[in-house]
Amino acid sequence: MKTLVVFPNKELLYAASTLGGEVAALVFSQKEAEAVSGKAHKILVAEVDPRLPDAAAEAVAKAAAGYDLVLMPSTKNAKTVGGLAAQKLGVELLVDVLSMRAEGGVLTAERYVFGNKAVATVQVSLPAVVTVAPGRFQGEPPAVQSAVEKLALAPTSRLKIVAVEEKSRGAVRLEEAEIIVSVGRGFKKKEDLQMAFELAKVLGGQVGCSRPIAADLKWLPEEHWVGLSGKKVKPKLYLAIGISGQPQHIAGILDSRIIAAINNDPSAPIFQNADYGVVEDLYKIVPILINKISKLKGG
Amino acid sequence: MKIAVLIKTALDTGQLRVRDTVVVEETPLKISDIDRNAVEEAVKLKGKDKAYGVTVLKWGPLQKKVQEAENVLREALAMGLDEAYLVADEKLLNASHIATAKAIAAVVKKVGADLVLAGEATVDNYTGQIPARVAAELGWPVITYARELKVEGGRVVARRDLEDHVEVVEAPLPAVVSVTREINQPRIPTLLAIRAAMKKPINRLTLADLGISVEPKISAAYKPLVIQRKKIVIKDGTPEEKAEKLIQYLRQEGVI
Ligand SMILES: Cc1cc2nc3c(=O)[nH]c(=O)nc-3n(C[C@H](O)[C@H](O)[C@H](O)COP(=O)(O)OP(=O)(O)OC[C@H]3O[C@@H](n4cnc5c(N)ncnc54)[C@H](O)[C@@H]3O)c2cc1C
Ligand SMILES: Nc1ncnc2c1ncn2[C@@H]1O[C@H](COP(=O)(O)O)[C@@H](O)[C@H]1O
Repeated sequence: MKTLVVFPNKELLYAASTLGGEVAALVFSQKEAEAVSGKAHKILVAEVDPRLPDAAAEAVAKAAAGYDLVLMPSTKNAKTVGGLAAQKLGVELLVDVLSMRAEGGVLTAERYVFGNKAVATVQVSLPAVVTVAPGRFQGEPPAVQSAVEKLALAPTSRLKIVAVEEKSRGAVRLEEAEIIVSVGRGFKKKEDLQMAFELAKVLGGQVGCSRPIAADLKWLPEEHWVGLSGKKVKPKLYLAIGISGQPQHIAGILDSRIIAAINNDPSAPIFQNADYGVVEDLYKIVPILINKISKLKGG
Repeated sequence: MKIAVLIKTALDTGQLRVRDTVVVEETPLKISDIDRNAVEEAVKLKGKDKAYGVTVLKWGPLQKKVQEAENVLREALAMGLDEAYLVADEKLLNASHIATAKAIAAVVKKVGADLVLAGEATVDNYTGQIPARVAAELGWPVITYARELKVEGGRVVARRDLEDHVEVVEAPLPAVVSVTREINQPRIPTLLAIRAAMKKPINRLTLADLGISVEPKISAAYKPLVIQRKKIVIKDGTPEEKAEKLIQYLRQEGVI
């Protein structure tokens, strides 16, 4: 088995090592090469701008020669690079893979499909390209000797990046949060979200939200957005307040250990997807929860 | 500007038919949500030229699903597309993504286009790979995840919505662009437009018509996800009592 990891990070290098055999990493600068030194048998350095999907895909397609599997993170840019490279190579691309196993030239992988209402077990022949769902491969890549090589390449891109605008990024790291208090359209005004922030604070958690809160109402920056098209989270407690529980929202919280919900509509679908549900007006119960929990924590 | 819009006739995930596995054959098709945004953008941008829809049917059985796919395409025609191409071939059912992209690219080459518009990802598969694959097949530049789009002087300028930042990117036409749901508000067709759409052509094509052959199929099994939650609902008592009860449960679970 020979695996090429593109945009390498600890998780991907570990995932590659679980397949056995040789692991190579494709990086786009000398600095990145240093960062993965000792974690891959071979490090290929392509001096192209990885933000340009066509240039990056050219590098991937060239570097992939002789490898059974190309592994990438499940970021938007990597998926674009993966699609381009896979079509060039005439191979399959599986994205957001939860688990995988390679045997006899065949890759068997699992991924969520149909709005995360089903798990597909997919078999494709190798070589193939895979993007790995975050948080699925946790471990240390073994220490190895690294040989560094330059990838000779005259990449061409027809894209021009005119400007880059950073999105406001607070201290929110929902993917890593242990407790998430999440808000939906049950909140009537932006100011009322303050209650959720207070509850999150006394619980030592962070605030998440449904799509309309971030995308339509823009009450919170997008980094708070949970769901199929937002963040996939895996806290020990996910507390959904004023969220109806549409499948696209549930898709982001499947890996939560405990899901609790507050909604004043007893028929809200969120109750079918929660461990503990409370049928109550959030405006009545949230202040009480803040009060009781802060007392509990000795505050 | 002549525009091709890629429309996935996707499985309606709100109406999945489920037994031991997901019964794809019995699950109805619908337009993949974000493709509505692509249709809307095409109708806005096409000017005096034509915009047409392209669908490669991926789910069988062929005869039954062709009928459903035509109904789905009528919706896009009612939104303002001029014409639609439906590639329906036994060999494309459950086919690899390589084949889907080849078939789409073959239609675009046959009909011609200055711009291909697609959704960022499909509701049934959510992979976001087809736009890039089609671009690779056509040899055109691709811009994915566009939340704003302008065409000026033979170039397309888009705001690409990535995880941590927005990139303003430029590419020469012809190009492939995938759009997000934030790019516009898809129109709801009027009754008149729906009636007019009944008269617009839906051209059916096979692989033979396109003169291409395709790779093997994907082998996949779809197991419904059984969500095993405790579903304990606290309904009775004062808000005070309910809050107390919830806290008790969460402490028992050791999560607070
Ligand atoms: C392709 C696609 C992708 C999508 N991706 C996502 C995604 O990533 N994330 C996401 O969240 N959504 C996503 N959606 C949208 C999703 O379908 C729903 O529209 C959305 O999740 C609904 O948000 P909500 O629950 O906040 O609002 P609503 O559905 O309006 O629910 C509000 C809830 O609040 C309750 N409520 C009202 N007042 C009170 C009160 N005083 N006290 C307590 N409860 C109250 C109501 O009973 C209701 O259940 C996507 C949709 C599509 C088509
Ligand atoms: N079978 C198909 N026929 C036509 N267009 C498709 C098809 N599959 C995907 N697309 C287009 O590609 C976009 C992304 O799809 P995907 O890569 O499958 O997530 C969709 O929103 C469509 O615009």
